[in-house]
Amino acid sequence: MRVESGELWRLQRRTLRSHAFGYDRAMKKTIAIVEDEPALRDNYAAALARQGYQVKGYANRTTAMQAFRVRLPDLAIIDISLEDEAEGGFDLCRDLRALSAELPIVFLTARDSELDAVSGLRLGADDFLTKDVSMPHLAARVAALFRRIDALRRPGDAAEILRRGALAIDVEKMQTTWNGVPVVLSLTEFWIVHALAKNPGHVKNRQQLMDAANVVLDDETITSHIKRIRRKFISEDAGFDAIQTVYGMGYRWVE
Amino acid sequence: MSIRSQLLIVGLSTLVLPWAGCQYARELEFALRGSQEQALSASAATVANALSAEPQRVFRQGSDVQPFDPGRGDLYVFPLGRQPLLDGYRDDWGIGQDPVPLPNPSLAGAGTPRSRIQAGATERYVYLYVEVDDAHFEPEPSDVLKARVSFDRVDLLLQRPDGTLDAFFFATSAPGLIEAQYLATSDDGATRVDAEPRIQAFWLQTRGGYTLEARVPLSMVGGRLWLTPRDGPKSPITQELPALEHLEGGRLFFAPQGLQDLLATFVRAGTRATVIDANGLIFGSAGSLDLSGNDAQRGNLGQAWFRRLIAADNSRLPEQSQAPDRLVGPQITQALAGRADTVWLRTGRREVALLSAAAPITVDGITRGAVVLEQAGDQLIGLRDRALSRLFYLTLAATAVAVAFVSGYATWIGARIARLQAAADTAVGNDGRIRLTMPESSHADEIGALARSFERMLARLQEHTQYLRTLGGKLSHELRTPLTIVRSSLDNLESEGLREDQRDFVRRAREGGQRLASILSALGAAARVEESIKQAERVNFDFRELLESAVAGYQSAFPQARIELQAPTDACHLRGAPDLLVQMLDKLVENAVDFCPAGGTIAITLARHAGEYRLIVANDGPPIPEGLLPRLFESLFEQRVGHDEKPHFGLGLYIVRLIAEFHGGRTAVSNRAEASGAEFTVSLPII
Repeated sequence: MRVESGELWRLQRRTLRSHAFGYDRAMKKTIAIVEDEPALRDNYAAALARQGYQVKGYANRTTAMQAFRVRLPDLAIIDISLEDEAEGGFDLCRDLRALSAELPIVFLTARDSELDAVSGLRLGADDFLTKDVSMPHLAARVAALFRRIDALRRPGDAAEILRRGALAIDVEKMQTTWNGVPVVLSLTEFWIVHALAKNPGHVKNRQQLMDAANVVLDDETITSHIKRIRRKFISEDAGFDAIQTVYGMGYRWVE
Repeated sequence: MSIRSQLLIVGLSTLVLPWAGCQYARELEFALRGSQEQALSASAATVANALSAEPQRVFRQGSDVQPFDPGRGDLYVFPLGRQPLLDGYRDDWGIGQDPVPLPNPSLAGAGTPRSRIQAGATERYVYLYVEVDDAHFEPEPSDVLKARVSFDRVDLLLQRPDGTLDAFFFATSAPGLIEAQYLATSDDGATRVDAEPRIQAFWLQTRGGYTLEARVPLSMVGGRLWLTPRDGPKSPITQELPALEHLEGGRLFFAPQGLQDLLATFVRAGTRATVIDANGLIFGSAGSLDLSGNDAQRGNLGQAWFRRLIAADNSRLPEQSQAPDRLVGPQITQALAGRADTVWLRTGRREVALLSAAAPITVDGITRGAVVLEQAGDQLIGLRDRALSRLFYLTLAATAVAVAFVSGYATWIGARIARLQAAADTAVGNDGRIRLTMPESSHADEIGALARSFERMLARLQEHTQYLRTLGGKLSHELRTPLTIVRSSLDNLESEGLREDQRDFVRRAREGGQRLASILSALGAAARVEESIKQAERVNFDFRELLESAVAGYQSAFPQARIELQAPTDACHLRGAPDLLVQMLDKLVENAVDFCPAGGTIAITLARHAGEYRLIVANDGPPIPEGLLPRLFESLFEQRVGHDEKPHFGLGLYIVRLIAEFHGGRTAVSNRAEASGAEFTVSLPII
């Protein structure tokens, strides 16, 4: 296992701090895990419960939706293939998004192919993780998503804004704009953009980007993430070329 | 032996058709010969019957049939077409035969030199020609009656038409035109020599003797005549006449005048009719043989060899009689014995046979002679040849068509099989990919069935290969969930708080899990690359810039090896997927680093070469065994052992090839000279 980055710790500590000061301890955040593999479900539940969340596990789409109609969780972690439904997770995500537009949804899957990722994100998921993700990484991600929700709910105080030319990154709300137009990025993508834009001109290799995004990905997946990020910016501005490939080394942000 | 030549031989079996045609033609020729024999035989019998009705026009002397015996001095008198000149030469007689030796047995005695005689007759004269071998010429003296006087002379003993004998002699003091002389008794009883002016002769001196050409009026000649040359010193002249009954031979056999005209009325063109007497001597003949064959046919080369092919064998036939004065042969013998007969004769020309039909002429129950009709055997053959040669050519053409068709068919079959074979040979490509469709499989025949069998076999092979190919990906996917369970459990365990000694076990378990994860990742790598190749976008970029950037990265990533780059100084534009090319480069460099000893050099070279970029990654280190070289770029082929513990699934170089092929390029690997290392070459076409 890789050594966790300093930034990860910082995020976790900040999450815990906000819990301690801003919210009632009794009002624990609920996380729903929809995963048909009981051992994994229990492991995730145990890891998240240790972070102070109330975790509920569901094995399939039907039981999960029944429960969600009664009460929405604060965050949902959904496996794509559920029991006998190969893409049951996508359907569940769509139904859940219909119930709530703001609820953070994280896809978790053994499948890491491009198509699954794109499909998942089109359905309005906030992040997409492979099951390789370690428990601390998962916890960091969950904390970050909650933090974003909190930041969004807070009235617009002078937030920490990172500006790089046309790019503006609201670090707290984890929102990105290009020429003032919001660019919707997944959490992983946001962290990659943030890591690149923070030090323009510096080459970030794949490992550094993975660390920043709190994921373990193979080279091809990093490449496809970068591609997708570019595409998202290009759909706002056809002339976008701020992310440069430095072959054999990594990527850098140029202004 | 190829199917084509086998079928060609089968096709050649249709040559039996023209062969059968030849056989048929031969049969037909025999049949035609038979009918020609019958026709000619019937004609001969008709002519013979007609002549039998008028024996007086055929035979000169009543019913006197004597056997002809040239050995005893019998003479055949050739009919002469025109009056010859008395000049001692017989060139103007127009007779092909040479004079026959004259035996004169009854009168022979001492002083008879060797001589040869020939007789001929016109309507008024009998001509006699005699050649005498007498080297020493003794001229006639002025008084021949002087005792013991001798000189060269030719005695002529003549039977008059009334049966009496007359003796004459020819002698001369100088060669030239002379008259016959005879000894007469004067009224006074003395013997004197008289000339007979009606009998004239020409005495011609030759190198070995002399020749005498004599002319006797036909009115003086009866049935017999004897001519005896005398050598002067040995034979004195006498006046004594021998007794007729003691004489032998000397009979003259005349061809009746007018018989030729009579015969001419019987013969058709191309047929020769000959009448012979009981001795086989020719009385007369009419018509001429056409032995030249069919002129039109001769002009036709094809028919000529066709004739040679089917002609009946003539070589064993008896030969045509060549004697001009008489006919011989089995048919003549039969006819003179009273039986009609036909026979085929050989002629001077090989391919032309002569048909000779002989029929007896019977007068009052006695066979007096025979009619012989002769006809060239190919009278009808020309007609038949035209029909048969057409048949022959038709069957030959049919054979040619059949052979051509069979040959074409065999070529087609052979080509189909060759196509199938070529497809079968290349069905499984070097990259392990299997082509499922075979040519010919849409045909309903056996080759189609074979092709379909191949397709089924390949489909099953494909399934199997597909299973093997996807096994890695499936395995990596299926093992991922349990691995995740293990790793997440370890995460939880660690978070629960462990004793120091327990941490070591967890750490080891985590390391094992990490290795397992990297194995699974490697197993699924090829599938992921294939996936990303499918989605790759092509852009224009500078390959040199990419290389320089990538090599700089490698230099920092692999400090243990010296990585050098040689590239053109100007931009190397290429259209392709730079991400994939970098990935390809990664694999090549990783591979080179694996086999490069510490401190060794990895040389990366980019060069333009005949319309393509040639990228060479060469590393120091051990050479690759020759047997492995051609298979190195195959999927899951790895027999090389690097000097690290990383898992090798032989996918790295396979990915290199996939990416090179995506760019329309090729890959190659070779060992450097002196076993100093390996060299991987990727050729990419410049687009």
